[in-house]
This record gives sequence, structure tokens and C-alpha cells, in this order.
Amino acid sequence: MNTQRIGAIFEKDFKDFMKNMMLLTMPVIPIILAIIYSRLGDGEELPIPMLYLIVGVTFSSVTASSMMTMMAEENEKKTLRGLMLSPASFMDIIIGKSLVVGLMTLISLIISLALVGIEPFLNVQAIIGLLLLFLFFLFLGIGIGLFTNSIAATSAYLMPVMFLFGFTPMIDFLGLGEDSLAITIANYFPIMQLIEMHDTNSWLPIGIVAIWTLAAAIFTYICFKKEKTDD
Amino acid sequence: MTSYKLNYETVKSNILPPISLHLHDSHTTAIYSDTDMQAELIDTILRNGDITIFDRKDGLYERLSVGDNVTFYHKWFGCTIPLPEILVMFELQTCTKKPLRKCTHFELARVYYARYFMTNTYPKVFQEPIQGVDIKTINIFLNMLQKLTENKTPTLILVSNMEHALLLSDVAYRLQDKGLLKIEVDAEVMEKDTDEEPAPALSTAKLFKVPAKIEDKVILFDPTEIDYIESQDGKAMIVVNHESFSLDSTLTEIEKTLEVYGFYRCHRSYIVNLQKVREIITWSKNTYSLRIDNQAKSTIPLARTKIQGIQDMFNLK
Repeated sequence: MNTQRIGAIFEKDFKDFMKNMMLLTMPVIPIILAIIYSRLGDGEELPIPMLYLIVGVTFSSVTASSMMTMMAEENEKKTLRGLMLSPASFMDIIIGKSLVVGLMTLISLIISLALVGIEPFLNVQAIIGLLLLFLFFLFLGIGIGLFTNSIAATSAYLMPVMFLFGFTPMIDFLGLGEDSLAITIANYFPIMQLIEMHDTNSWLPIGIVAIWTLAAAIFTYICFKKEKTDD
Repeated sequence: MTSYKLNYETVKSNILPPISLHLHDSHTTAIYSDTDMQAELIDTILRNGDITIFDRKDGLYERLSVGDNVTFYHKWFGCTIPLPEILVMFELQTCTKKPLRKCTHFELARVYYARYFMTNTYPKVFQEPIQGVDIKTINIFLNMLQKLTENKTPTLILVSNMEHALLLSDVAYRLQDKGLLKIEVDAEVMEKDTDEEPAPALSTAKLFKVPAKIEDKVILFDPTEIDYIESQDGKAMIVVNHESFSLDSTLTEIEKTLEVYGFYRCHRSYIVNLQKVREIITWSKNTYSLRIDNQAKSTIPLARTKIQGIQDMFNLK
């Protein structure tokens, strides 16, 4: 790992992010959503599942999507070819990009949560939960970004990530029975677990989310290995 | 003087002959071949070592400005030469603020040069570096080659154009089925035949045509049609626009007969029709080229020892 290179990538990608309209509109989505929801609530505090819906949208549309898009663009335009001198430099690239994405996510999340009420998140347990959730989406983004070769393809991969993991609280609106299989499975999804954590205050949901994050990390690692052997 | 050895003698390939070549760090080497052979050679180089080849095929960051791109590569490769010096060296200082997608083709080529210059690949290998760029950019490229030589970096240039090979390199090779063949470039070793008597054929000069063979036909060329004549494998080839036709005689023989028509031996392997010369280009490292006024706008090398002759002929100075 080389901090100078990470700094170089961070600076380059930050400037690029600011000039890329496609990426720049992403952090605005959760903020707009938050404004709409805060109007709907008539000044009352929004229920926890609604807050987590905004969190889910932020992480899927900002974290996972920008990571995917940034990596897919590098793949598509072959800009990394001249830069990859050793496998170590690849880590520098990913870390540098993750920092940019992390910063953007943080800004977007804080603004949108401030609009709907940030109080429920101001405790250690919730922050750890959010951090794990961020890593989970980041790993998904990196993994998918590794094998997509065009920006157009990322939107296809983004959809399942968004609907499965970002919009999980919406499953209640599908009108499925309370004990149907889909609901039971969905209840183990990371965001549902974090909502449950707010109800029960137990640390078990954090453990389950950690397992999800670990699984995403393994997924990224497999994608990485596969990419290496393909070259 | 150290050198880097490229050894592909054991490589099995249908196209590529076994090659072994020493790249000296005190001069630039060029290999001239057709594009198929070149592709095969590049493939072999890439498969047999950690060499990155300059080919302008990979992307740059189009949304970012020239300055941002160069700054990024400068930091990424940990280049020790100060950034402003790099920008000046590649004459990019005037367009640092310009986004790459608005840059001209030539400016982009210079950004590519700058990036490759800053990488720490050893040795440096260029594929067709000056194809389709303007004179200013070629000059910048020549300066960069000089810098590489000063830094003791062995440099190899792969081109499919003999003129480029002679212009860019100190030692040029031709790559063929038989193997690598050195192209003689020292004009000093040229046979001295100036003190011979003028050819007695002057009286029939009005009827003179240059016969060239194409398949089983013989085509007669008017000397004024010819752009220039180059030597390939010891055989003279007439070049008219994009086409070339082989002659039966050698360059030295044809030189004598064509002298009266205003042809001039400007290089060991070139005779030029002076009527068709549009421009004498002076490159930075004291090398020269002649630009021909034909559709292809060909440039042919002018040997250092031959510049005086040209200047006398055109009453320059």
C-alpha cells in the first residue's frame, strides 16, 4: 500500500466525480427523497423503517452505484492498463476510490438524515450498524465493478442490488402474508435486521449484518481472483 | 555502456523469426517491419517480460483537464522530475486548463508521451509513436528520446515506416522472415563516385524514361513523375504517391542517370526529385527531413552530410 498513490487516485477521482453528471446526480436522490418524506410526515417523526429506507437508498444509489460506475468506466476506457504495475497498485486504486465514495456517501447521508430526523442514529450501536451496512454495499459495488466492462451494464446490475438490499423495507407494501416465505427471508436482510435492532436493542442483528458484510467481502475477493486469472 | 537484451530465439511462432537484440542505453534502436510482423513482435514482448509498450490505445481521463491528468500520473508514478518541468518539456503548459475531450489530436499525443515518459518501465518500447502527428509534436518526441538516452534508458521504437525508423533512431533494423537486418545509416560510408566523368548518355536525355517492372509488365516513368526513389534490400524502388515500383538497377546506377533531371542523393538509401521538395524540415537534434509535395505528403530523411549539397543547390545560406 502506498499512501502517495492512494492520494493521487483520491484527488483524481474526486475531481472526476465533480465533473461527471451521472455520478453527481446520485447523491442528490436520497436528499430529494428525504425532503419528500419529511413533507409527508406533517412535522411528525418518521417511523424507523422509513428512515432505513432512506439509508438503503443512499447506500445503494450512492455507495454501490458510484463505485460500480467508476470502476466500469475505467474498464471500458482501458484507463487502468498503463497504471497497473503490480497487484499492490490495484489495492491503492480501490482504496482511493472507496475514500471518494465514502466521502460522498457521508455527505449525502448526513444531509438526508438531518432533513428527516437524525436522532435515532446517534448511538454507538446504530453507527456500527450503518458502518457495516456501508461496507456491505461498498464490497458489492467493488465486486460488480470488477467484472463489468461498460457503464451501460452497471445499471442492469444495480437494479437487483437496489431492490433487494436498498428497498427491503418496501416489501411490506407488496401485500404478502405476514408469515409468507418471502417475508421470512427478507427479515434476515441487512436493513431489516437493523430495523429490528432498534426495536429490540440486542446485538444479534449487528452480528447478522456483519455476516452479510463478510459474505460481500468474500464475493469481492472471488471477483478479484477471477479477474486476475482472466488477464 | 550497458544494454538490455531482448532474446526471443526460442519463441515458437509462425510469423516471427528467432530474434535476439541488444538495446544499448546510449542510443535509440528502431525496428522497421510490416504491421503483421510488428503485432507478432509486440505480442512476444508482452508475453516474455514485464514491459509496458507505448501504443496510445489505452485511455486517458477525458473529463479532466490536461493539467489534472498529468498531475495524477506524475503523482501515481512518483516521478522525480518537477511537474512544471514535465509540462514544459511536452509543451503542455499552454493548455493545462483544457479538458482532454476538447484537446487536439497532437496535444493528446503529447499527454500520452508525458505519461509514458513518467512510468518506470525499463526498457521503453514505443509502437508507432509519431504516426499522424504534426512537426512540433515530432520535435517534442525527439527531445524526449534524447532525454531518455541521457537518463540511460534503453529505448526501442517499432514502426512500419522506414522514414520514421531513420528519423527517430540511431540504429535501425529491418525485421523480415529471415530475421533482423541492420539498415546502414551512416552517410559517410557512401561510395565516393562524384569524381567520375559525367555519363555520356546526355545526348539522349530528352528521350529518357525510367523503366520499372510490375509483375510481368514494364512501366516507363517520366522522371518528373517520380517523387523519390528508395532502396529496399539493395533494390531501388520508385515511389509515386502511395505506390512503389521496383527497378532493376541499384540506387547508385540510377543516381547517375537521373542527376541531370534534378534528382539528388539525399541519403544513403534515398534519391529525391528536387522539383518535388516542398519543405526542408530541421529537427531538434540536428537531423533533417525533406517533405515531398505529393498526396501522401511523405517525408524522407536527409543525411547530415547531404544538407550542404541541398543548400548549395537552392542557393540557400
